[in-house]
Amino acid sequence: MGTSLPPKEANLFKVIAKSYETKQYKKGLKASDNILKKFPDHGETLAMRGLTLNCMDRKAEAYELVRRGVKNDLKSHVCWHVYGLLYRSDREYREAIKCYRNALRIDPENIQILRDLSLLQAQMRDTAGFVETRRQLLTIKPSHRANWIGFAIAHHSNHDAAMAVQILEAYEGTLEDDYPPDNDGNPPFPPERYEHSEMLLYKVTLLDESGAPERALAELNSKEQKIVDKVGLKEHRAALLVTLNRLKEAQEVYRYLLDMNPDNYSYYDGLQKCLGLSRVENGSYSPSQLEKLVELYTSLQRQYPKSSAAKRIPLDFLQGIEFVEAAKTYITFFLSKGVPSLFSDIRPLYDQRGKADYLEEIITGIESCLKETGSLPGKSDSEPPPTLMWTLFLLAQHYDRRRKYEKALEKIDEAIKHTPTAIDLYLVKGRIMKHAGDRVAAAALADEARSMDLADRFINSECVKRMLQADQVDLAEKTAVLFTKDGDQHNNLFDMQCMWYELASGDSYWRKDMLGKALKNYLAVEKHYTDMLEDQFDFHTYCLRKMTLRAYVRMLKFEDTLHSHRFFCRAAAAAIKCYVKLHDTPPKTSEGEEEIAVAGLSPAERKRVRQKMRKAEAKAKKMAEEKAKEDEALASSNVAKSNKKGSQATKQVDDDPDGDKLLHVSDPLEQAVKYAKLLQDNSAGALETHMLAFEIYFRKRKILLAFQAVKKLLKLDADNPNVHRSLIYFFNMVDNLPGAQSPAEKLVQEVISVERDALTALGNKSLLEMNKAFLEAHKESLLHRAAAAEVLVLLSPDSKEEAVKVIEDSVNPPVAPGGAIGDGVGEWELDDCVAVHKILLTSVKDEDAASRWRVRMADLFPHSTYFMGPKSSAVLGAASQVPCSLSKKEEQP
Amino acid sequence: MVCIRQATVDDLLAMQNCNLLCLPENYQMKYYLYHILSWPQLLYVAEDYNKKIVGYVLAKMEEKEDPSETHRNAAGKEDSSECHGHITSLAVLRTHRKLGLATKLMNAAQRAMQEVFGAEYVSLHVRKSNRAAFHLYTETLGYRINDTEAKYYADSEDAYDMRKELIVREKSDKSSVASVTAKVEKLSVSDAKSDSAGKKPAEKAKDDAGPPTSKRGRGDKSQAPAAAAGNGEKDQGKKAIAGGGGGQVATSVA
Repeated sequence: MGTSLPPKEANLFKVIAKSYETKQYKKGLKASDNILKKFPDHGETLAMRGLTLNCMDRKAEAYELVRRGVKNDLKSHVCWHVYGLLYRSDREYREAIKCYRNALRIDPENIQILRDLSLLQAQMRDTAGFVETRRQLLTIKPSHRANWIGFAIAHHSNHDAAMAVQILEAYEGTLEDDYPPDNDGNPPFPPERYEHSEMLLYKVTLLDESGAPERALAELNSKEQKIVDKVGLKEHRAALLVTLNRLKEAQEVYRYLLDMNPDNYSYYDGLQKCLGLSRVENGSYSPSQLEKLVELYTSLQRQYPKSSAAKRIPLDFLQGIEFVEAAKTYITFFLSKGVPSLFSDIRPLYDQRGKADYLEEIITGIESCLKETGSLPGKSDSEPPPTLMWTLFLLAQHYDRRRKYEKALEKIDEAIKHTPTAIDLYLVKGRIMKHAGDRVAAAALADEARSMDLADRFINSECVKRMLQADQVDLAEKTAVLFTKDGDQHNNLFDMQCMWYELASGDSYWRKDMLGKALKNYLAVEKHYTDMLEDQFDFHTYCLRKMTLRAYVRMLKFEDTLHSHRFFCRAAAAAIKCYVKLHDTPPKTSEGEEEIAVAGLSPAERKRVRQKMRKAEAKAKKMAEEKAKEDEALASSNVAKSNKKGSQATKQVDDDPDGDKLLHVSDPLEQAVKYAKLLQDNSAGALETHMLAFEIYFRKRKILLAFQAVKKLLKLDADNPNVHRSLIYFFNMVDNLPGAQSPAEKLVQEVISVERDALTALGNKSLLEMNKAFLEAHKESLLHRAAAAEVLVLLSPDSKEEAVKVIEDSVNPPVAPGGAIGDGVGEWELDDCVAVHKILLTSVKDEDAASRWRVRMADLFPHSTYFMGPKSSAVLGAASQVPCSLSKKEEQP
Repeated sequence: MVCIRQATVDDLLAMQNCNLLCLPENYQMKYYLYHILSWPQLLYVAEDYNKKIVGYVLAKMEEKEDPSETHRNAAGKEDSSECHGHITSLAVLRTHRKLGLATKLMNAAQRAMQEVFGAEYVSLHVRKSNRAAFHLYTETLGYRINDTEAKYYADSEDAYDMRKELIVREKSDKSSVASVTAKVEKLSVSDAKSDSAGKKPAEKAKDDAGPPTSKRGRGDKSQAPAAAAGNGEKDQGKKAIAGGGGGQVATSVA
């Protein structure tokens, strides 16, 4: 302790601490007032007062007071601890750790501070530091269970599972013989029993992980009575037996598990493994395996007649006539049950050669049999009418998958005519429309479905999604709001981390070129992930108490790879695109002031003026922000005064509802770099990651970083048209650089030229020659041709005509037979053709060619609104796709 | 068709997404984490052949020692001494109904409550207007109404507080824990069997009911026994986790 207080004030100080812990902040403030009246410079009181104010949302004051406290009493561990807690509350963990360390220098054995430090080390994954802190805690207080467990967890996270086992065993040695007590007096399930059981299972995973499966299994067997999680026990045992190659015993366990849950696919997997029926290297089975598999699943189907898994799995490995028979039985069964998800269940089969054709045969066979005889094939009782509807429903989805949209629409319309009240039909018709290129019609159909059951949020969500895809953002918002309670829908969707909505809404704004709002949505997603990273904090202590250690360790791994989750990747990639676009076409600021200022200047001068203006702007913005912060502090302190509890956070007001501030960020590329780094760290295997990194560094003229991205791209997929384009753009930029000025620049250019010679993709050819070779090698592919054309225009602007010809001479070959796509359908996909149209418009810059392309594509994709296809709602109007008998809304004047 | 298995931490984001698509009662990720880090055995998912999560059950145990959790039945009698499970949320995508997924998920969670945590009964809340869910709970799963909670949901709709007994208690049974668990295991095996047998008529009734979509809300579309709504934070897990605010300060020596 630093300066000590007389007894009365010392007691008051205890009141402050107590009030802080019990969240009675007002009481704490009062006590601090009383101390400070007599001892205005008392450091610890100042610090605690600051910490209390921090909980009342008076941040600025809090920092000032705590800092004064520390300054007045540098030798007080309390002041340093408080300073650390303050930083921690703002998620400034590195700073907080420094403060804790200072506190511990003064009071090295303070358990509370050591514990707080260990939490931060766990959160920051400072595993070595974590081990050390946990060691100290155990040494000081070996009587606490949590200290043993914490020490073991620390070693585990420091990649020493064997050491963790030793610690758990040492801990077990301290326990009484029969722990947890098994006697009669206790309730049958005291929590200790579960906790002990979890610890035992954790130990088993550790043993397994440390390369001692035999010991793990022995442990499992000897402690069986004490393990209450019987499923967990059995699953562990089975896996360990497989590892130890004791397959016969493993098989028994898997059979036991299947008895319990014949719908768990991993048990079937396990069983196959035990029987030597895993797929061989190339992903297929040997003939002898196939024979055994048929036998196995025939018997499993008899054993578990209710399990759909035992029926479904064989469809994956059966071929030819056997497949046809099995698939027919399977499909008939679920059709007559009326299971709507049947198509999505069999969809993976379409990617296996030949099976799509078989399926077409089977389903059309069922259709015609039902129509002709009223019964299913091979049966005599007549089927109830829904079976035909479900058959048409399945058939529509089948043709949709095969890209035969006309047939798909014909079948779904037939189904709707058959049962106009079946909501699922409209949802599927909407999906077909979307695939065919008519998002407006898709949205109208989804809305029709929605109106048929307003209480079902799933249909509402589906409808909102379709509306956003059709860029009807306002309508989508109004529709989504029907299911968010407080009417303030954005906050509610945001508070509930509704990321699919934010992504879809962001995409829509992006297409509408409203980058501020788009960014706002994408950054909201990013914020959710930051919060989820933060969420783990409280569990570092919680799980040690609850002993749910296996789940805890998995949670740590989950958090470590959180940023590779698809929602995050999509949001980050989209945000980067927005920033790049903002860089390329900055928003018009200050009513065209800039345009006037730069009119009539040379490009270099323009750039200088722009930079100056941007700097001035940034400065003004910073001042405004500071002002806003002060206002906020003032306002929140007012609220805190009027608020009785004083602890409730004030509801945050969105001061940038349209994302205008995001739009006027001073250096968009720098923002983009932030997200690119996260993608590079967490999604290094994705082509898009490096594409985006390239786009950023190319614009920033960061030559080495851009080149690094190009090299990564070449390694991932040298034949990809986008990779080709990046490669040429990069070297074209390098070739056109002014001569090196500084020694550093010279060095960079030397490095690049050495690397260039080493690139096999380039050989010793010129860029033009290389492009020609690329075109020659991929002349069958539309996207490759388009990329080559784009590059050609870049390298020699005079060759525009030739470039157009490269694109226009492309032919759309029919797909190879036997695949998922139906016979006679061309290979080209709508999205690719749209991309080519955009290339003609923006890169090749030939409007005539673009409009010729549009006409050609309108013929190929008659439902496409983008190409104004003759059957699209762009031509016919949106209402045309909704059956008129049902669209009552339109009937009313 | 669909795989029924225990959820792992890696499923939570997909579960949250499924919940947001189907139900009006939503939760932040931390609440899902709270569940899986407290009762990892009580979360189950339904995963389709494309590895997509199409349904889930999120369940918990009610902790006895917490006085705010005590349950009063209609007579106002407290029975907090019993150890019981609670279904926080159950959802199945509309596209995947008619497969009995809700039943399978519920049975799996109930079984784990009983086997791992010794739950004597399980409770849940359901909207009074949710006929499909009510039908599933009463007819297929054997729940009965214990109480009605007025204005339970954020939109002020009432909820039925429903319960199902898990263990038939024998008064004479005073055997050791080990033998009780052994019994439980046996019991639940036969339980599952009698369950699936008992389920049949109800399932059949559903299948027999003419064109499946001729009436609204038929079949087991998304059920919502969800306890805490997103903005009704009374259940949001925070209280159960130490140190939402600042925690303790090392002032003990002061």
